[in-house]
Amino acid sequence: MNNLMVVNLIFKITLFFLIVWGTRRMSADSNQSSYLPEPFRLNGITTQDAFGQGKVRALNSTVRLLRNNKLIALGTLISPKGYVITKASSCVGARKATLQNGSTFSLKIRKRFEDIDLALYELIADKNTFACVEWTDDNLTLPVSWVFSSFIELEEIRVGIASGNPRTIGREGGVMGVMLGQDGKAVGGVEINEVVPQAAGDRAGLLAKDLILSIDGRRVFTKEQLGKLVSSKDPGDMINLEVSRKNKQRKIKVTLGHSSVTFELFNRNLQMSGPVSKRKDNFPLILQHDLPLPKEGMGGPLFNLEGKCIGINIARVDRVTTFALPTKTLLPYLKDWLPDAQNILPERITENDTEADL
Amino acid sequence: MPHFLRCFTIFLYLSKVTGVAEVVEPHAWEKLTPENICDLADIQVKLQELVPLTSKALVALETEDGAGSGVIISPDGLILSAAHVIGRTGVEMDVRLLDGSRAKAVSLGGSEISDAGMLQIQGEGPWPHAEIAEMKSSNVGDWCFGLGHPGGFDMERGMVVRIGRIIKKQDETMQTDSRLLGGDSGGPLFSFDGRVIAIHSRISKEPDQNFHVPIESFHANWDFFRNQDLLTFEEIEQGGFLGVACEESNQGLIIRSVLPDTPAESAGFLENDIILKIDNQAVRNREKLTILISTKKPEDEVIIEYQRDKSVATLKLKLGSRFE
Repeated sequence: MNNLMVVNLIFKITLFFLIVWGTRRMSADSNQSSYLPEPFRLNGITTQDAFGQGKVRALNSTVRLLRNNKLIALGTLISPKGYVITKASSCVGARKATLQNGSTFSLKIRKRFEDIDLALYELIADKNTFACVEWTDDNLTLPVSWVFSSFIELEEIRVGIASGNPRTIGREGGVMGVMLGQDGKAVGGVEINEVVPQAAGDRAGLLAKDLILSIDGRRVFTKEQLGKLVSSKDPGDMINLEVSRKNKQRKIKVTLGHSSVTFELFNRNLQMSGPVSKRKDNFPLILQHDLPLPKEGMGGPLFNLEGKCIGINIARVDRVTTFALPTKTLLPYLKDWLPDAQNILPERITENDTEADL
Repeated sequence: MPHFLRCFTIFLYLSKVTGVAEVVEPHAWEKLTPENICDLADIQVKLQELVPLTSKALVALETEDGAGSGVIISPDGLILSAAHVIGRTGVEMDVRLLDGSRAKAVSLGGSEISDAGMLQIQGEGPWPHAEIAEMKSSNVGDWCFGLGHPGGFDMERGMVVRIGRIIKKQDETMQTDSRLLGGDSGGPLFSFDGRVIAIHSRISKEPDQNFHVPIESFHANWDFFRNQDLLTFEEIEQGGFLGVACEESNQGLIIRSVLPDTPAESAGFLENDIILKIDNQAVRNREKLTILISTKKPEDEVIIEYQRDKSVATLKLKLGSRFE
C-alpha cells in the first residue's frame, strides 16, 4: 500500500515536471528570442569538458612563449626533457616560456627548420619530467573529424572540425602592392593605375600613372611578364625598377611585401578576420581546420578526439581557416629530439613513406 | 535547464519500477550537451555519415562580382542560395558541382529582407539534391553543420565542413556558432537528420554568431521566389506602406505596435490585433507581409482579414508611402 502510494506520487511529480517541461519547450518554440546559453555552445565550457582527459593533456603539453612578457606564440612540448617546437616566424625573440601551472622557464633556441617554418627550443630546467604530446598520424586519412587545441591563456581549449583535403600549399611570391593599368608595346611598358597605401610600392615612392619600363634590367611590356618577374621573388627581396614619370625616366628600388598583408585592405574576408599569420604559404603538407585561435595561438599542438597530437598549428589564414603541419611532416625533422625515438615514432612514419595514403 | 535533467532521471527511474514507459536513450546530438568523448565520437560518426550524402547537392556559384555557394534541392535543379549572391533575377551564372563539373543556372527570385534567393539550373536532370526541412523543425540548441566553398571553388582543397549549434532563431534570421566566411554565402546549413534547415547569409564580427536564412523564409514565400520576383530594399522603400510592427505566432501575425500617422492607424488597427490574410492570402510570416504590402504601390487598396479578441473582421484600406 505504502509502496504504491510512493510510486503514484513519483508518477504524479513526473507528470507535473513533464508538463512543465513540455510547455516550456513549446513556449520556447513560439518565441525563440533568447540565445543558447554560452556554456552549451560549440566552444562553451560543457562542450570543452566533454573532451575529458584530452583537454587536460592539451593544456599540460602546450607552452606560452613570451617576448617582453607579451605572448607571441604557443609551443608544443615534444619531450620530457623540455624540448618545445613552435612556429619559427612567430617566435623571433622569444625569451621565456610559461606552462599551464604558471611555472616560467628561460628558453634556448636549438634549431630552426626554415623550410617548414619550425623552430625548436629547450626549456632551461633541471628536470626531465615535462608532460609531452603523444603523436599519431591517423587524421590524414580521416575526413571531417573533431580537433582541438589549447587556447592562449592555457585555461580553456578551442574545438572545431578538420575538413578540406590535406594538401600542399604553394609558395606565395612577393608583391609591390600596385594595381596595373594599360600595357603593351604601344604604351611602352606597364602603367600603374593605383598604389596601395602603406604597401611596398608606396613606401618606395611609386605613384599612379608611373610607367614601369623594366625590372632588374629586363624590359617589360605586359602585365603577365611583370607579374611573373615580381612573384618569382620572395617577400623581403629588393627589385630595381626603371619607371617613366611625366616622360622623365628614374630608377626606383622596391622591397617586396607579402601579398596577403598588402591586399588585406581590399579583401573584406581578411578585414573581418583580424590579424593573420604573416607566413601562411609554402608548406609541403597541411591539415585544415576551423579553430578560433588568434595569430599568437599558432605553434601549439593540435589534437584529435582521443587526445593524440595530430600536428601543430602553423598558420592562421583567415577567420575560419587554420593550417596545421601534420605529424607525418613533422616527425622526420624531430627524430633526434624525441624521447626514445624508436618507440614513439609509429612504424608507418618513415622517410621512404612520405606520399602514402594521400 | 537542470530541471529537465532531474525530471528525466526521475522518469527513467519510474520506467524501471513500473514498466509503463519505454525510454529511448537520446542520440548524443540530441542531448543538452555532449557529456564525454563517446558522445563526441557519436557526433563525429554521424557527421561523417551525413557529409557524403548531403555534400553532393552543394554547388559553387561563380558570378561577375564574386563567388558564392548554393544547394540543389530538387531533381530538376532548383537551387536555394542567398539574395545577395544572385543579385537580381534573370542573371546567368556558372555552377560548379562538387566534382568540379560545370553547369549554367539562371537566378529566379528572393528577398533582401531575409536574404533568401533561388536559382534554376539549365539542362537535363536529374541533379543530385538534398532534402529540405519542414517548417519549424529546427530549434535553438540543435546541432547543425554547414557546407560551403569559402573564397570560391578550390579543387585541391575541396568543400569545407563546419559544425555548430543554433544559438538563436527569430523572425527572418537564424544564428549559429558554425563559422562562416565570404564565399560560403548561399551555402546550406544541415540538421543532424541531413535536411537543409537554413542558408548561409552574413558573418558577424564575432566568429561564433553568424547569420543564416531559415528554411521557413523559403517555405513562406516559395511561389514568390520561384516566380522570378526579387524584393529589394529599394522596392520596399518605394512600395506600399501599412505601418505596423508584427511578431510571428501560431495564430498569425500579432501587431505589436501601430505607427502613428499611417494607414494602419487611420484604419483603426490596435496592438494585439492579429493579421490573418492580405487580399485573401494567409500571412503567418513577417517577410510575407512585407512582400505582399511592398509589391503594391502607395494608394493601392488591400483587403485585410484580422482577428480582434475572438472575432474575425475584414477591412479595406488604401496603402500609404513610407516617406510621407
